[in-house]
Amino acid sequence: MEKKENKRKFTSGKLLNLAPVIGMILMAAVFLAIAYMKDVNIPYSFKNILNQSIITMVVATGAVFIYTLGAFDISLGASMCVSALVGAMAYNRTGSLLIMLGVCVGCAVLVSLISSVLASVFNLPVFVTTIAMLSLLNAFALVLIKANGTGDVVQVPANAVRGINTVWFKLIVLILFLAFCIFAFSFMKLGRQEKFVGGNPICAALSGLNASKLSIIGFMMAGLGVGLGAFLTITYAPTLSRNTAGSVGMDVIISIVFGGMPVSGGARSRIYSAAVGSLSMTLLSQIMLMLNFDSGISQMVKAVIFLLVVYVSMLNSRKTILPR
Amino acid sequence: MEKGKKILSAAALPVIVLAVCLLITSVNGITLFDSQLSWITFTRAAVNVLLVTYALSINLNSGRFDFSIGSTALLSSVISAMIATKYNLSPVLMLMISVVTGGLLGLLSGFVYVTVKLPPIIVSLAMALFYEGMAFTLTGGHGVSFASNAALMEFGTIPNFLIIAAIAAVMMIAVFDHTKFGYEYKALVSGQKVAVNTGIREVPNALICYLIAGLLMGAQGFISATSNGSITMSLNFGSISPMFMAFLPMFVGGFIGRFINDKFGYLLGAVCSALISLVYVRMNAASSTQQIVSALLMVSFLIYLNNEGKLKHLLKRS
Amino acid sequence: MKLIKKFLVMQLSLLMAICLSACSSGGGSSAEDPTAKTVKIGVLVSDTTSAEALSFRSYYENYIKSVYNVDFMYSDELKDAAAEQSAIDNFIANNCQAIISFASADRPAQIEKCETEGIYYAVATGTLTDEQYEQFKSYKYYVGAIGPDLAIEYQAGYDMAKFYLDQGYTKFGMFTGASVYFTEMHIYRAAGMIAAMCEAGNGDYEGAKGMDIVGKIMSEGGNVNTGKIGSVELNGVVAGYDFDDAWFGKLAAVANDPNVEVLLAVGSGQTAFAGFKPEGKMLGDIDCYTADSVGLMKAGTLNYLAGKFSASIGPIFAATLSAVYGKPIRTADGNAFALSQGYWIATDAETAEKYFEVDSSTTAPAYTKEKLDTLIGASYDDFAKFVSAYSFEDIQK
Repeated sequence: MEKKENKRKFTSGKLLNLAPVIGMILMAAVFLAIAYMKDVNIPYSFKNILNQSIITMVVATGAVFIYTLGAFDISLGASMCVSALVGAMAYNRTGSLLIMLGVCVGCAVLVSLISSVLASVFNLPVFVTTIAMLSLLNAFALVLIKANGTGDVVQVPANAVRGINTVWFKLIVLILFLAFCIFAFSFMKLGRQEKFVGGNPICAALSGLNASKLSIIGFMMAGLGVGLGAFLTITYAPTLSRNTAGSVGMDVIISIVFGGMPVSGGARSRIYSAAVGSLSMTLLSQIMLMLNFDSGISQMVKAVIFLLVVYVSMLNSRKTILPR
Repeated sequence: MEKGKKILSAAALPVIVLAVCLLITSVNGITLFDSQLSWITFTRAAVNVLLVTYALSINLNSGRFDFSIGSTALLSSVISAMIATKYNLSPVLMLMISVVTGGLLGLLSGFVYVTVKLPPIIVSLAMALFYEGMAFTLTGGHGVSFASNAALMEFGTIPNFLIIAAIAAVMMIAVFDHTKFGYEYKALVSGQKVAVNTGIREVPNALICYLIAGLLMGAQGFISATSNGSITMSLNFGSISPMFMAFLPMFVGGFIGRFINDKFGYLLGAVCSALISLVYVRMNAASSTQQIVSALLMVSFLIYLNNEGKLKHLLKRS
Repeated sequence: MKLIKKFLVMQLSLLMAICLSACSSGGGSSAEDPTAKTVKIGVLVSDTTSAEALSFRSYYENYIKSVYNVDFMYSDELKDAAAEQSAIDNFIANNCQAIISFASADRPAQIEKCETEGIYYAVATGTLTDEQYEQFKSYKYYVGAIGPDLAIEYQAGYDMAKFYLDQGYTKFGMFTGASVYFTEMHIYRAAGMIAAMCEAGNGDYEGAKGMDIVGKIMSEGGNVNTGKIGSVELNGVVAGYDFDDAWFGKLAAVANDPNVEVLLAVGSGQTAFAGFKPEGKMLGDIDCYTADSVGLMKAGTLNYLAGKFSASIGPIFAATLSAVYGKPIRTADGNAFALSQGYWIATDAETAEKYFEVDSSTTAPAYTKEKLDTLIGASYDDFAKFVSAYSFEDIQK
C-alpha cells in the first residue's frame, strides 16, 4: 500500500515537474483553437511565434547560468542594447558580419565580466550591482548614439543582414547555443556545481567550491547569450535606438519563471526552462492579441495566467515556511 | 560606544554629503538652497525617498523582493485622485483614501503571496502587472490630471511633507521596535526557520508587513500625484523604476543604523539622497550624467561597506 | 494526482473561457461588394498612454468602427524597430489587409515589409523624409502619409513663441521633451520657438538663426542652452522624461523662476509644467485636445494650445480603405501621396472647448462618414484639397 502511494507521489511529482511544458502545450492548444475560429494564418503565426521568441530564448537560456546560482541580473536588456549598438558600429566600420558578431558577443561578455567581477571581488550583492550596471549601460547607450552622430539611431544597412534574417538561421543559432548550454549545464561539472552553490552556498563553500569563479563563469555564459541576442536583434531589425531590447530584461525574468525555474536557483534549476517559458510567453501574447483586449485588461489577464502557471509548476516544491 | 559619539557618527555621513554638495555647487557659482523652492524640492524628494525606502526595506530585509510597490503607489493614487476630483474632497481626505487603498493593495499582494506560497519576487511581478493594468483600465489609459484643482495642488508644502515624514517614521519605530509584531518580525528576519519553530506565526506577520508597505506607498503615490498635478499611466513594468531610488538610501541607512535606530538611518539616507537630487536640480544636470553619477555613488558606497575591514587593514598597514 | 487533475481542470476552464470569448467575432463575405466584407486594419502604436494616442484610438474605435465595416487590431506599445517588425508579423498572421502606422522607429523597414507581404501601409500623423519618399513613393502597397511634416513642426513652435513675443513677453523657459533623444519633431518645434525669439530680439542663438538652429541643437546633442537672444532671454530649459525627483525639481525650478514669464513646451507641457506653475505665468503647449487641457485653459493654467485633433487621422483611414477596395489614391505620376496637415490652435478657453466638443464627439466628429466617403476613390487633387483644409473653420464649412 505504502509502495503504491510512493509510486503515485513519484508520478505526480514527475508530472508536476512537467507542468510548464503541459502549460505551454495547453497554451498552444488555446492559441490554435482561437486561431482556427478567427481564421488566422496558422503557418505564418507559427513562424512568427518562433521569430519572436528565439531572441528571448537565447538570452534567457544563457541567463539560466546566473539564476541557478540564486543570483539575478536586471541589466541584461541594457547590456544587449549596448552590445548591439557597438556591434552595429563595428559593422559600419568594417562591413563584416563576422566582426559584428564577434564584437556583439565580446562586448556582452565584457559587460557581464565587469558585473560579476565587481560582485565577486568586492563582495557586492549581485542584484544591486546589476541595478547600477543598468543605469550605467542606459547612459552609455545614449553616449554611443550621440557619438555615432546619426540622429537618434545607429543603423546597419538592411541589405547587409537580409540574407540571414530568416527563421532557419535563427533556429540554427538557437539550437547550437542550446546544445552548448545543455552540454555545459547537464554534462559538465559546471551545472552540478552551480546547482550546489545555488542550493546551499555554505555547504558548497565548505566542500571547496569557489563561488566567485562559478559566478564569473555563469555571468560569462549569460554574456554569450546576450551577445548572440544582440546579433540576432540586428539581423531582425537593423535600426537600433536607446530603446532597443528595452523589454528584454523583464522578459527574461518572466520567461525563466514561466518555464518552471525556481528564482532561488539550486537543484531544481533546468536549462530548458528558458526556452519553454519564452515560447509560453509569446503564445500568451499572441492569444491576447487575437482577442484584441484593451491594453490594461490584457495585462491583467496575463498576470493571472502567469501566476497560475507558475503556481502549478511549483506545487511540489512547497515548503512549510513561506518562500523567500 | 557612547551615546554622543554614536550620534556624531550617525550624523557624519549626511554632514559630509551636505559639505560635498555645497562645495560642488559653490565651485560652479550656484547656491544650493537659493530659495523656498529649493527647500520644497529637497523636502519633497526626501519624503518621497523615505517612504519608498521604508516600504522596500520592510520586505527586503526579510528577503522578500517586491517589484509591485511602484504599481501600488500608482493604483492607490489613481483611485484616490478619481474619488477626490469627483466628490471635490480635500487633500487630507485624498491622502487618507490613498493610504487606505495602498494598504489594501499591499494586503492583497501579501494575501496572494501567503496563499500561493510562491517566491515573493514572482508574486510581485504578477501583482505589478495586475495593478498597472487595473490603473490603466480605470482611467481608460488617460491617467488623472488635476493641475487646475488648486485645493489639491496646495498640499505640497514643507510642513505637510514634514508631517507625513514624521508620521511615517514614528509609525515605523512604534510598530517595528515597540510591538510584539516588531519583535517577531526581527526574529523572522534573523532566522526564519528557528522563529517559526518557536511558534511565531509567520503568515500574519508577512501580511502586516505587506499592509504597512502598502500604506507607505499609498502616501508616496499621493505626494507624487499632488506635487505634479497629474498621474501618468505605466504598462509593462513601467512602474518599477521608483523602487530603484530606494537602494542607495537603504544602504546608507543600513550603515548609519549601526550607530542609531535603523529607521533614523533610512531617514538620514533619504536626506543624503535628496541632497544629491537637489544638486542635480540646481546644476540642471543631464539625465545621463545623473544616471552615471548615481550608479557610481551606489557602487562605490557598497564597495566601501562590504570591504570596510579590508580597507581599514590596508590603511593601518600603510 | 489530485493536484494534476486540479491543474488540468484549471487550464481547461481557462481554455474554454478564452475560446468562448473568442467566438464572439466574425464577418460576412461577399465576392461582389468590397464593402460587404469586414476590412481588418492593423494599427501600429508607439505610445499607448499619451492623450493623443488615446484620442486617436477613440476616434477609430468609437466612431469609424461604428460607421464602416472595418475592424481594428492594435499593437502593444512599440518601443523599438524589432517590436515594430514583430507587430507587423502579428497583423499579417491575423489577416490584416492594411496597416496604419503611428510608430516611427524604422519606417523604411515597415514599408519594405508591407510591400514584400502585399499589405497596404499608411503613415498617420507623420511624414517620410524627402529621401525616404523618393525611395518608396512608387511602391504598390505604400498608400501615403498625412501629418505634420518637420516644416509644420518648426512653424508650430515658431507661432507659439511669436504669440507671446507679440504681447511683449521677453523672458522664456522651455521644456524640450525628447530633443535630447534626438527626436526630430521636438527639435524642430524647439528650433521654431528659438527662431521666433531671434527675430523678435534681433539676435541669434549661438550664431544660428532660422532653420540653422535645428543643426545647432543637433550638434549640441539635442540640448538647448539658456542665454540671451538679443533682447529676449531664455532663462531655463528642461529636457528628457526621467519622471524622478530631480526631473520634477528642475521643472519646478524653471516654472517658478522669477526671470521666466512664459513657459513653452514642445509637448507634454501639461504634465511637465502645469502642476508647478505659479498663477500669472504663461504656458503654451503643443499636444492635443482633451478634457484636461480644456480644464487647464478654463483655469488659466494653459493659455495656448496647438493641438492635433483626433479626427485628423480620418483621411488616412479613408485613403487606406480606398486602396483596400481597389481604388488607391495616387498622384498624377502614379505615386503615393505625401500630405501635410497642421494643428488647431486655441488661445482661449472658449475656443478650446469648442474644438474639444467636436473633437471628442462619437456621433459628429470633425471628419464624419459623410465627409470621408467623398474620399474613397477620390482623385489626388480632391484628396489633397480636402486634407489641406484642416483648420476647424474649413472643416466646419
